Amino acid sequence: MFDHDHDHPHEPIVTAARPSLYEIMETAVRELLIERHLIGAHEIRRQIEVLDSRTPALGGAIVARAWIDPAFKARLLADGRGACEEFGISFYDDTSLIVLENTEAVHNLIVCTLCSCYPRPVLGLPPDWYKLKPYRARAIFEPRAVLAEFGTVIPAEVEVRVSDSTSMVRYLVLPRRPEGSDDFTEAELAALVTRDAMIGVVPVNLIDGASP
Amino acid sequence: MQDSHPAAQSLISKPVWALGEEPAFRPGARVHVSSRSPIGHYRVPLYLRGKTGSVVSVIEPAGLNNEEEGFGRNAGGRRHYYRVGFEMSEVWAGYPGPVRDRLFIEVFETWLERA
Amino acid sequence: MSQADAMLKRLPNDIGGLPAGPVRPVDHVLEPWEKRCHALADVLDFHKIINTEEKRRGVAALGAELDNVLSYYERWIAAFANILFQKGILTPEELAVKMQQVEARWACDVGA
Repeated sequence: MFDHDHDHPHEPIVTAARPSLYEIMETAVRELLIERHLIGAHEIRRQIEVLDSRTPALGGAIVARAWIDPAFKARLLADGRGACEEFGISFYDDTSLIVLENTEAVHNLIVCTLCSCYPRPVLGLPPDWYKLKPYRARAIFEPRAVLAEFGTVIPAEVEVRVSDSTSMVRYLVLPRRPEGSDDFTEAELAALVTRDAMIGVVPVNLIDGASP
Repeated sequence: MQDSHPAAQSLISKPVWALGEEPAFRPGARVHVSSRSPIGHYRVPLYLRGKTGSVVSVIEPAGLNNEEEGFGRNAGGRRHYYRVGFEMSEVWAGYPGPVRDRLFIEVFETWLERA
Repeated sequence: MSQADAMLKRLPNDIGGLPAGPVRPVDHVLEPWEKRCHALADVLDFHKIINTEEKRRGVAALGAELDNVLSYYERWIAAFANILFQKGILTPEELAVKMQQVEARWACDVGA
């Protein structure tokens, strides 16, 4: 900015803006480790493909199958990771998975108060709000107020269960199947299931399903 | 768990398990979270210290102590983590919601004692 | 317990139960470098060069002040650098020199 009295003509710069300190640091660390054969460039590329392939659509497919197949649902609730592995979902981060069923009597909500633990193998990377202070600080001591901020009001007779993920276990909420979805195909059901419903902050609705 | 396969057990004498292999707590056990205060690294949040809850399930397989992993120890003795449930009113004095609301968290074995 | 004692005993990331404002449903699509940073974290853990728990500790060790001003992946990459120095895998000088090279390369690429 202050160094603007040079005389060469300005080319329109179509590439990205000047990289930040952190982007430069990321590139430098990665290249140094690759030069020393501590990691391989192909490992980074492959892991980016892994991350790109993990989206809430995987979780949605799991939920839809659980809604239509009671035997699968039983396996899913007994061994979340094993049931997801049936779908070819690997747990590359070596976490286990507990699936928490929402019912008429119980509403589950997941949070990581200490950082950002999240069921990445089945949902992909968490949204920013999940990683920020307001949700992490408050979800465990005033979950009903936090849910209300998402427009979700839980009746007093329903038990709210908050699961704080801290170590090896990740959680996935199995939302309630919405009323009026009896005629839906498995694919149509899966399309209703949003990321936020599998975190437990909203129910699954017939109207606002589709992509998160 | 050592007693979970009685049919197989009947064919062989009972082998001895390594220290820490067998979970110290079973589902339903009442447990008390230590109120100690490690510095440097921990994964038992402050809000849970000194609280009493019930073991819901044993997390398999056993794992390393994550306070040690935090300093780069990638091997060593393994113990179980436990999914422990607490009444919200036990954790938060003056919890505003219904008394049935609960909180669940995984806690490493060395943080727990029988309540 | 003095305020200093309390600060020592509470890691900056241990915020469960602290007062905080309303939850705003913010999100963003990761920038390419952020996604690379995430992939790097996973690969470092696969090799146990920096395991996930070391990364968490390293982020907390940046302290509350930096925690407040850096974004999520900015904290990660700063923590990786510090941990790699601590473990003797890289030196501050090596990283600084490499960062100068990376920046010079970018300037050259865009013809600045």
